[in-house]
Formats: sequence, C-alpha cells, structure tokens
Amino acid sequence: MARVAVLQIPGVNCEYETARAIASVGLEARIVRWNEPASVLSEFDAYVLPGGFAFQDRIRAGAVAAKLPAVERIAAEAERGKPVLGICNGAQVLVESGLVPGIHPGRVEIALAPNHAPRREGYLCRWVWVRAEEGPGRATFASGAAKGEVIPLPIAHGEGRFQTADPEVHARIESAGLALFRYVSPDGAPAGRYPFDPNGAMLHAAGITNLRGNVLAFMPHPERAAWLRMVPIDLPGTWGERRRAAVGRFDALEGPGPGRLIFESLARKLESASVEGARG
Amino acid sequence: MSAVLMVRLKITDLTAWTALEAGRKLLPPGHTLERVLREQVILFEPEPGTGADAFEAPLADAVKHSNFFVNPNKESYRFLNAAERGEIWTPPQGAWGILARAREDTRDEGLRQRLLREHPLQGLRAIRRAKVWWLWTRGPDGGPAVESCARALGILEGRRQGLLVNPHFEAALVLDGPMPWSRVESFLIQPAPAYRAAA
Repeated sequence: MARVAVLQIPGVNCEYETARAIASVGLEARIVRWNEPASVLSEFDAYVLPGGFAFQDRIRAGAVAAKLPAVERIAAEAERGKPVLGICNGAQVLVESGLVPGIHPGRVEIALAPNHAPRREGYLCRWVWVRAEEGPGRATFASGAAKGEVIPLPIAHGEGRFQTADPEVHARIESAGLALFRYVSPDGAPAGRYPFDPNGAMLHAAGITNLRGNVLAFMPHPERAAWLRMVPIDLPGTWGERRRAAVGRFDALEGPGPGRLIFESLARKLESASVEGARG
Repeated sequence: MSAVLMVRLKITDLTAWTALEAGRKLLPPGHTLERVLREQVILFEPEPGTGADAFEAPLADAVKHSNFFVNPNKESYRFLNAAERGEIWTPPQGAWGILARAREDTRDEGLRQRLLREHPLQGLRAIRRAKVWWLWTRGPDGGPAVESCARALGILEGRRQGLLVNPHFEAALVLDGPMPWSRVESFLIQPAPAYRAAA
C-alpha cells in the first residue's frame, strides 16, 4: 500500500480530514509533524500539505512554512518525481517555496495574492465549480475526471489569487497547460468574473502544477467534499441532484463526493508507479 | 505634500518576532539580525496642485478621536503633518527599512469614503496604504550590511533567498538612509515599477 505523508505545520487545521480522505481511496496516510527529522519524509511515496494557517499566516500566507527543512526535503523528493499536493494553505506554501510552477527551478515565480473581486475583499468561504484541463498534471491529479467534467468544491481563503508579475511565466503557465484546474460556471462555461471566479486569479486558475506535473498547488478543499454527505443539499447541478436523491439513505450519503476524485487520481498514479517499479 | 500616519503595535508584534526568527536563518555567515519593527504607512494624498495643509488639522483630530485608523488598546501612532515630517524620511536610529506596497492600486477608497462620511475634509484625494519593515542588521565589518541583508531578507527570489516581499504582488523600496518624501510619495502613488526577474 502506498504511503502518503500529511505534513502538520503549526497552524494548519485540516490534517485529520485530509488523512481520512486519503485513507478512503486505499492509501495509507500518516500525519508527520513539521519538526520530526526531515529524513522521515523520504519513507513516503507522496506528500500532502493540508489547509489552515501555517504559522498564523505571519508575514504572508505560506511564507514562513516555505523555509522549513521539511519542505526542503519534500522539494527534494518532488525532484525525484514523487507527487506533492498542496491544498489551500498548502498551496500557498508550495508557491512561496518555488515548487510551483517550477519553470526556473528554485525561483519563486508566482504569488497567491489577496482575493480581488468587485465590491468585496478578504476571506471568502463558498462552493465553486472547477474543471480539469489537459496538462502535465492530469495523470497524477485528475485522471478520475471525465473530459469537461464540472467538479463542485468548497473554497475558504483570503489569499487565493494566482498571480505573477513576470509575463514570461504567465505565458509559460498557459502554453504548457500548468493551470490544471480552472474555475468555471456550474454549466462549464468559462468563469468570467466573480462569483464563478471567486478571487480574480490569472487564467481563472484554481490549481497550478509544476512543469513535470507531479506537484499541484490547489486552492479548493477536496477533503471537504470527499463524501456525498458533505455536498450542500441546495447545490445546483448533478452533484446537488445526487445529494438530494440521497436524503434519508445513509449508505448513499457515505458514498464518494466530488472531491474524492483528486485522491482517487493520486491513488491510481501511485498504484501505476508501484507496478512500474515492480516491473523495473 | 501629503500627510502621513504611521501605526505600529504597542503590544508584542508576533509577526515581527516571526520575521526576526525566520530572517536570522536566511542571513549569510557573519551577519546578524538584531531587531525587526513593522509599521503601517497611511498616506493622505491631497488634490493635485494643493497641499495637505488644507485638511491636516481636522484629519489629525479625526485620527485622534475616531477608530478608523488606530486601535488605542493595542496600537500607537505618529501623525506627521507637512511641518513635522520635513522633506526627508529618516529611518530609526541604527535601522534601515523595506517599504512594501501592493503592485496594484494602493488606494483604499472604502476607507476614504468612511472617513469623509463622518469627518468632512476638503482636498483629500486619496488614502494610500503600505507597510514598512525596519531592520537592525550587522555585517562582518560591524556595519549594517544593507545590501547583503536586503538580498537575504527582502524580495523573495527562492526558497533560501528573500522573505518579506513577494514581488509578484508587491513592490519594494529599500530605505537605506534618509529618503526624500517626494520619492516615497512617488513610489506609493505612481504605478508599481515593472518586475525584473532575477538574473
């Protein structure tokens, strides 16, 4: 069974539900504290940086955690091809550490800037819709999504706007398909502005990968949508219909929710890597 | 000339303390970081062709008696009118600074409107926000080693370089000595300088 480390940094608050979502797809999840010897991390096959407020978001969200020896070790393992998923605050850590998009290795090339939307600012907590595009990260993080599938997921962030001041980086993210997940409307049309694009991100990006496709900085919270019971009963679209149809049917409510496919995709990738490793 | 309000925490600033702890680990050998102080900079920009003297007195009163800008339970402030401010901004004794602003418009129009609703002021064009980090550093030669410390602690370039400013949504001005306020005003009012990738 593939093993996934969930990195617990002071201030994160989603590590337990993230570990449960990982376990739900047949992977072994272990919460690893930030101050355990970094060498422990090398024993794992993949890494998830969960959401929360690492170091209370002091200085800037993700800025302090990005300097941890544990993150340094995860960066080294990512260079060897191991998958790394950063969810919300975990995404901010990956961006601040330069792991995403990694066009020029070791360089910080983007930011997760404060949300930008007409007549509202600050923290935003709501459900959004995203779609997986074609790109190098699809095989690792979105193989479970059908082409064009619209996935509803919750967001909860104040600094979720992918942004770069470097036009070359912007062009490369677009041309190389690194904006793996983009915000869309519930019917799959381009998000346009708020509310379907909740924060004004470049390319309407909800998740950006590195060039190799094994590291994803993802702002929505798939672990908060990993079971059908977590879907709001009034959510538009097919997932809302499934949720309404499951009222009173506890077995159905315990079935997978839309966020599960991120973890299923990761599990499939790790399984295929294991098979290839066994063959090799 | 604009009027300026500087606001800082008078309780322990845990963000500055964290910057001190994190920053020390980024410095090159032989360098030390002794203290970090963080202040909000709020610039009151007058209408073109006028000065802040038209609204300085009632603004000083508004700052003192309203809670728009300062929470007196935890913050202290200095309101600098044109006369007090002078032409030059001098860093605190022994310190140098990094002034950081958003790459986007620095105006806080919501704050201006709230202020004007309760304190009608004539000639206030905009309220602009930024923050300044004051740093007390020392290099191997005993001097402040501003250049090497600014490279280590200032603009974020990579995992091991830079901390306080992410250049993809912020711009920074290093205050390595007395700085003309006109240059500071220009930095806060004009569009942010273009990003230059590290070599």
